[in-house]
Amino acid sequence: MRKIWTQVIYHLKKDKGSYVSFGIIILFTAFMLNLALVLTFQVDKAYDEKFNALHTATINFTVSKLQDTEQLSEALGNLQGVTEIDCREAIFSEAVVKEFRDTDFSMHTLFYNIEDVRKLNRLEVREEGQSVTDNAIYLPLYVASFGEFEVGDNIVYKIGDKSHTFYVSGVLEEMQYGNYGKGLMGAYLSGEAYQKLSEEQEENLVIEYSLLTDKNSDIEQIKKEIGNVLDEQEIVMLSMSDSISTKDTRTMVCNLLILILTAFACVILLVSVFLCKFRISNSMDEEIVNMGVLKAMGYTGNMIIGSIVIPYVMVTIVTAMIGVWCSYAVLPTLSNVLTLQSGFSFALVFDGKSLLCVELLLTSVVLLFTYRAARRIRRIQPISAMRGTGEERKVKKNYFPLETTKGKTQILLVLKQMFASGKQNVLLFFVSFVLAVLVAFASILFYNVIVKPDNFMSTLSEEMPEAIIYPKENAQEFLTDTLEKDKRVKSVLQYSVVNIEIEEEAVTTFVCVDFSKVSNDLCYLGENPKAQNEIALGSVFEENYKLGDSIELKNGNTVYSYKITGFVQSVNYQGNVCELTVAGYENFCGGESSPSLYVYLEDGNDTEAFLKEYSTKLADSITNTVNYEKIAKTSQDMFSGITAMIILAIFVLTMLIVLFILYIVIKSLLVQRKQELGIYKAIGYSNWQLMIQLAGSFLPISVVAILLSSLLGIVYMPYINQFIFHTVGAMKNNMEVSVPFLMVFAVLQIVINFVISIVLSMPIKKISAYSLLKE
Amino acid sequence: MAIGKEIIISAKNLKKSFHTGDTEQTIFENLNLDLYKGDFTVIMGSSGAGKSTLMYSLSGMDRPTAGTIFFAGKEITKCKDDQLAVFRRKNCGFVFQQIYLLEKMSLMDNVLTAGALGDRDKKSMIKRAKELFELVNIPEITQKKFSTQISGGEAQRAGIVRAVINDPKVVFADEPTGALNSNNSEAVLNVFTKLHKEGQSIIMVTHDKKTALRGNRVLYVKDGQIYGDCNLGNYTQGNTEREKKLDSFLAEMGW
Ligand SMILES: Nc1ncnc2c1ncn2[C@@H]1O[C@H](COP(=O)(O)OP(=O)(O)OP(=O)(O)O)[C@@H](O)[C@H]1O
Ligand SMILES: [Mg+2]
Repeated sequence: MRKIWTQVIYHLKKDKGSYVSFGIIILFTAFMLNLALVLTFQVDKAYDEKFNALHTATINFTVSKLQDTEQLSEALGNLQGVTEIDCREAIFSEAVVKEFRDTDFSMHTLFYNIEDVRKLNRLEVREEGQSVTDNAIYLPLYVASFGEFEVGDNIVYKIGDKSHTFYVSGVLEEMQYGNYGKGLMGAYLSGEAYQKLSEEQEENLVIEYSLLTDKNSDIEQIKKEIGNVLDEQEIVMLSMSDSISTKDTRTMVCNLLILILTAFACVILLVSVFLCKFRISNSMDEEIVNMGVLKAMGYTGNMIIGSIVIPYVMVTIVTAMIGVWCSYAVLPTLSNVLTLQSGFSFALVFDGKSLLCVELLLTSVVLLFTYRAARRIRRIQPISAMRGTGEERKVKKNYFPLETTKGKTQILLVLKQMFASGKQNVLLFFVSFVLAVLVAFASILFYNVIVKPDNFMSTLSEEMPEAIIYPKENAQEFLTDTLEKDKRVKSVLQYSVVNIEIEEEAVTTFVCVDFSKVSNDLCYLGENPKAQNEIALGSVFEENYKLGDSIELKNGNTVYSYKITGFVQSVNYQGNVCELTVAGYENFCGGESSPSLYVYLEDGNDTEAFLKEYSTKLADSITNTVNYEKIAKTSQDMFSGITAMIILAIFVLTMLIVLFILYIVIKSLLVQRKQELGIYKAIGYSNWQLMIQLAGSFLPISVVAILLSSLLGIVYMPYINQFIFHTVGAMKNNMEVSVPFLMVFAVLQIVINFVISIVLSMPIKKISAYSLLKE
Repeated sequence: MAIGKEIIISAKNLKKSFHTGDTEQTIFENLNLDLYKGDFTVIMGSSGAGKSTLMYSLSGMDRPTAGTIFFAGKEITKCKDDQLAVFRRKNCGFVFQQIYLLEKMSLMDNVLTAGALGDRDKKSMIKRAKELFELVNIPEITQKKFSTQISGGEAQRAGIVRAVINDPKVVFADEPTGALNSNNSEAVLNVFTKLHKEGQSIIMVTHDKKTALRGNRVLYVKDGQIYGDCNLGNYTQGNTEREKKLDSFLAEMGW
């Protein structure tokens, strides 16, 4: 080591700029990689730790209090794999939370008495104010942070047509519920408040059973067995959830983030590897004579390779460390955002394991590639190296001889340069191509989330009307007629979301009078149900059923058979859904149902004002209204905010990488072609001409690479989108690939590349013809 | 001849040929040669005769096509590339016509780059480098200059320091004064003479009669053979006898 130390220092000094650029790129890689790794190592663990600390049940389900029996708990106790059972009373309600993030949010809510002793599903109070009031409520962290409620605020739950105002006297953490995508939330009332509400909601009193299962037992199997027990005792299950799918929902965004960060880090790592390969083979061309001299002095091939590889490895080790360090600066913010979405708090701490992984991975990749690039030094004979011959300085072909090729001399000179530098072209092509893929992705995201947000939103959610109106009993037909006559209304659809039981599990069911009229067709395979004996199932059922099969649904003792016409997707309910016609549903429950009315307004109408007008005008026929547009807007704003950030990040990152790459390429070009440029200057070429020539020689390559990847983007982007959306459970997506948009981004990229190259070729100005010629 | 002298390099049946396309050009064949310790051997010959090729073969920098070379008792023709590199560290120092100092490094650093390969610890290495710089008349400020900031003569003298920093058994020099004017040449040659007086073995290729006078043995390469071998005796300044002897030797060789 000591023997080659002077050489290592020499390389570092001589090529400072290149190492700095390389280092910054490695820094980015380490930054993202460490974020991904820390999240991977810690979030999952933190989740499990909290889950265990709160002694959380693996399966929870509710039954009506009226149907609860002694035998039920007895039978549950006999189930194999169940280690602990807890049960408690609660109020099951279909509530609308007012002013949840400035909108009304409808969600099924279970109200508990906080004074109940809990063996399972324990609660951890995070914040507490005064709890002396008789209407005190403790909110789960998710409701509090996502809905923007603080201790001391009031929160209004509208149940049926009655509003209940509670005083938020605490925020607590629980690990039982998912986030709003799961459609079920808890709320914890003080004893007095609970008493009051339960008297009012007597018919909605339920018993919640919480089961802790053996680590090795199959949760799905136990869920089936619970269903069987309930069937035997003719008890209807109202809701059921398990810890696995809950965890999936709560950590979905985090996992997606990990995926994106890792993908990015890999792309950049690839770029940096190509870069150091390029840099090494270039500097070997520049330094071939020196290497011959070193060999003459007695340096062995491996020592010279070492002196080339070590600086890169050193830079990697140091900058990766800095990158990791930087990532800790953003981790707190990141964990706050994730807490908002996942509803549980965790502190991300320094992680030695991830530091080690980042360092090991980056160092070994860089070591491997630099070594491979420098390997051929071993074959170089000192004598031929000093003569500048040997295999190194091959005499290059004279491309486009000016004498015999037709065309403008200026352009021919550009072409000459371009063809004379193969390695540089490969690098530029590769880098431009990879980065153009990223930019194409960003542009498609931009188009679908910001320009045409419906594409994105409809992929992630179900029907999105402007307003939902809940009619009073028997007022349905009248309301529909009235609404249809209103000029502001585009269409009205009888549509509701209910729960039915399929295979012993509560399944969210979309009931619609005519699925051909929906604005967001969820069906990705087959068709929506039309007749009363038809059903379309969610994607989770695709494993066990085929199109055309029939499925039997039980309501109490009666069994109904439905023909499966199609499969539908649902990101929110993770495919655990189905579709029935109104007739089909009414047949199933054996009576009239009163579906809500989904109202679609013509563009440019104020939904809020529209609903206000109707709720006063037709107060007799309407129980409740929801401004769905506002709800959709809230989540849309959130998504477009995140997307805008991602796009900006991709763009900035891309441009920075382009900048560093071009810096290194142009710098080594200027060194290599010093003499040549000096001669051009001496002949009388201006700085400007030479700069254009240099920048122009990159242009064809980047144009081809960028256009190619954009064109390919038209073909491959739908697949990438499909892959990404598949990971969140969307079987089909409504993302469009807009060709003009792709092209605009492509041209933008080309222009920026060109401008950057011009700016970077400026140093041509500084050197005089004389000094260029002297060497 | 030269009885009592220790052989340092011995070549047997040496052959070197180059392939250019389909044609094979033989530079020398069946060449036998002994070189002695403490000698300042000069190799002369017309341009293209193969002087450089011979010298680099002898030093283990280049591989002969056939034949064996013993260098300090070791059969270097059997060595692998890396073994040769290690061998050169202790046994050979090189001075080149084009000098080849490493750019963007001070003269001192250039010397230390070679010194790092030796057995000395850093402190004594620097001490030795300073002594040598003094020997070749390069003051301390010049030692700190970069190779692009000095005269050709200074560069070549620094090149010599670099060549001898590890006390090599033999210093090889290929026309070390070829790129220098006469004043600078004189200074460089004086360094070689000084080293020779201290017992350093030197093998030098040259075109120049005045340079050749510095040696005590002159070999003439012609037709792929050592065509002539002349013992001049040690150099003393203004010795016209040696000059005459060399003149008649060269005339005989057809110079
Ligand atoms: N790598 C090579 N490939 C092909 N031929 C070579 C190579 N190196 C040297 N030669 C040829 O070998 C012959 C001897 O070259 P060498 O450099 O040894 O000559 P020299 O006597 O040192 O000449 P000069 O005095 O001009 O330096 C020349 O004809 C040269 O063309
Ligand atoms: Mg020569």
